[in-house]
Amino acid sequence: MSETDTVDGTDQRVTTTGETSERVREAWSDYEFAGDAKLVVDDLDVYYGDERALQGVSLDVPDESVTALIGPSGCGKSTFLRCLNRMNDRIDSARVEGSVTLDGEEVYSDGVNLVELRKRIGMVFQEPNPFPKSIRDNISYGPRKHGDLDTGLLARLLGRDDTDDEEALVERVLRRAALWDEVKDRLDDNALGLSGGQQQRLCIARALAVDPDVILMDEPASALDPIATAKIEDLIEELAEDYTVVVVTHNMQQAARISDQTAVFLTGGELVEYGDTDQIFENPESQRVEDYITGKFG
Amino acid sequence: MSNATRNRIDGADSTAGDLLSRGVLATSVVVFFAAWTLLLQWVDETAAVGGVSALKLLGVGLVVVGVGLVVVGVGSRLGYVDTAPSKTAGVPVGVVFGLLWAAVGGLLGTLALGNAAVLWLPVAALFGLAGFLASVLPREDVGATVPGAVVLLLLGGFVAAGGVNAGWTWAPAWSSAVFPGSELVPILVVFATLLGAWCAGKANEGFGAEGRQAGAYYLVGAVVFAMLGVLALLVGFIVTNGLATMLTRASLAGGELTVPLVGVELPWPEFPFLTNPTGGLFVEVPGVLPAIIGTLWLVFGAVLFAVPLGIGAAVFLTEYAERGRLTQVVEVATNGLWSTPSIVFGLFGLAFLVPRISGGNAIFVGQLVLGFMLLPLVLITSREAILAVPDAHRDASAALGVTKWQTIRSVVLPAAMPGTITGVILGVGRIAGETAPLLLVFGGPPYPSTTPNVLGSFELTAQPPFVTNEALLSPASALPYQLYATITAGVFPKEIFTDTQFGWGTALVLLLVVVGLYAVGVGSRLYFRRKLHHE
Repeated sequence: MSETDTVDGTDQRVTTTGETSERVREAWSDYEFAGDAKLVVDDLDVYYGDERALQGVSLDVPDESVTALIGPSGCGKSTFLRCLNRMNDRIDSARVEGSVTLDGEEVYSDGVNLVELRKRIGMVFQEPNPFPKSIRDNISYGPRKHGDLDTGLLARLLGRDDTDDEEALVERVLRRAALWDEVKDRLDDNALGLSGGQQQRLCIARALAVDPDVILMDEPASALDPIATAKIEDLIEELAEDYTVVVVTHNMQQAARISDQTAVFLTGGELVEYGDTDQIFENPESQRVEDYITGKFG
Repeated sequence: MSNATRNRIDGADSTAGDLLSRGVLATSVVVFFAAWTLLLQWVDETAAVGGVSALKLLGVGLVVVGVGLVVVGVGSRLGYVDTAPSKTAGVPVGVVFGLLWAAVGGLLGTLALGNAAVLWLPVAALFGLAGFLASVLPREDVGATVPGAVVLLLLGGFVAAGGVNAGWTWAPAWSSAVFPGSELVPILVVFATLLGAWCAGKANEGFGAEGRQAGAYYLVGAVVFAMLGVLALLVGFIVTNGLATMLTRASLAGGELTVPLVGVELPWPEFPFLTNPTGGLFVEVPGVLPAIIGTLWLVFGAVLFAVPLGIGAAVFLTEYAERGRLTQVVEVATNGLWSTPSIVFGLFGLAFLVPRISGGNAIFVGQLVLGFMLLPLVLITSREAILAVPDAHRDASAALGVTKWQTIRSVVLPAAMPGTITGVILGVGRIAGETAPLLLVFGGPPYPSTTPNVLGSFELTAQPPFVTNEALLSPASALPYQLYATITAGVFPKEIFTDTQFGWGTALVLLLVVVGLYAVGVGSRLYFRRKLHHE
């Protein structure tokens, strides 16, 4: 997303391949998939100040599947991801135009309750970022703040505390994140004492604890070693049974391994091609995507 | 790079040179400490050790160091000692030695030609230039040792030959100050041995980059030692002077504690100086209890006032306000406020707060004024601490749908707690010992016979402000205030202590109170750190 990355290459390619890219766009715009669309993105533009980071991206994300976003650095894939749960609101210079709907509800309308939106669209970041609290507190942080779990002193004195519910929740999401067996004996230890891979799975568990429908992951394994990466990848595939997962990755093998459909962004914040992962990697419509995937470009 | 110097990797293995430079280093260290014992008066300057006066021994020590350095340096140049010197000792060494030689030249010039700058200044400049060139021009092993060693030899030789003895004084014509030899010599020797240790440290590692690294190590070590020495001297002085007063008639089991309800009396430690009021008719040992309580109330009130306000302002400035002109102005203003002299705060309290709140000196006004003084530091440090909390925590919290304020309360502030507490500790250390504003807005009779009863004086009233507290609106005594009064007024009412004795006792208690407050602060900081990190 740095300014220098987006400028070079793009203009020249757009002009030389403008006509073909138009044809390709028509081909994949009709991408059909079985099941319902969970997220529908329509003509999304993002500007950082004067610079345009996303150019008219339209994309339907199917329910209960893994969608991978790939592309070179600075192509806008992380920006796109952060638009889905409106994390770009936190950047003062960012301006978003276009439409995103979650189950038919507009995300970018004025009356949207960000708390409810982000409860339904969870997010996992590139660097594992657990809070400097105990493992248990990390998990129950979200539900406690939303008032779904009350383990405060007053509730405990009144005998109305949800300690049992909390125990159950912590065990359930930690099992779901394949972390339970490793940490069940030290739930009260500080989460910063875990290894990088464990911390990232804890972050996934923390996101699951608020019971989202969609989980966004921004290069979740790029800071991890190969073994930890493999665990995260397995986990992502499992999560897709119940959740809609959107993963940004710069690792094409990873995208090929874990995703059901793949969107390829190229420099300039342009969505070049979107389709079944197998088709994108074996037989892409666009010459630029083929160049990127075979390593000639990017 | 074809003519780059190449030395053996396994250099400086000559045992003789190694032993010699180590001997020089050890001698420097010994003489350094010996000079300190003289300076601190642990050894009298007229004392004789083995029939030779202590001052002369220092001189001999310097001569030994000087000769050793010359031998090592010249030996290395002639190839008897295996070293890896650079081509030159470098300009910094040249400047140091040049300045030393300029000082020597200035002294000699004044002695020979009299006290006119026109006459001695050129001599000093000439000597300085010579010293500089003698250090810079030869190879490092000579340049970094010999010019310094000769200065040591001159000084040591002069002292050892009896040019200076304990009764000698130096009264330079350009100043009215008189320097007695008993103090001047140890001070000069301390610095001379530092110089010797620096050179010997270099020589010990065979000069070159490694030698400079070793020399710097010894210099920095000596500076740390000197700093700790000054601190220890200060604290030791207060303790030795105040301890006798503080422990007057103290005993570990002399007192009696009556257990409530049962009525059994148990032996109990007794510290009359800490537990007695200062004035009063029937007090045998006047104590500082009212002042201790006064100081604690002041600190407590100031912290209670400044910490919530300071943290609140810091949260607003870092989390809510947009970074820009406003935050910059506030930043500059708080920095300025922190360095404002305390007497100015006192004057403000006297002119503005006193007429509006109490109509006279009062604990409450003292608390407010000290709170104003504490506020900027709390603001600055908690701002820094909040800024240091990684944005990743805020992002993670926001992505869970948690609101900004909840994030601040549950994630940002706990993570910023240790830093904030550090600021409060520093500030409390300052305000607990603050005297000037207390003179204006707080102090009552310096030797009170009762302690301020703040807790017991709260009363509800029907009219505004509905709660009154007579004790908070009355003047009281605090430790630094009482110390000031004792020393300046000098009319301490009891014969058991002199003014000075009582003053030292008060100073020691003040020191202990501040250390106690520090301990509380450091303890709570540790507690929060433990919670934040896996330890």
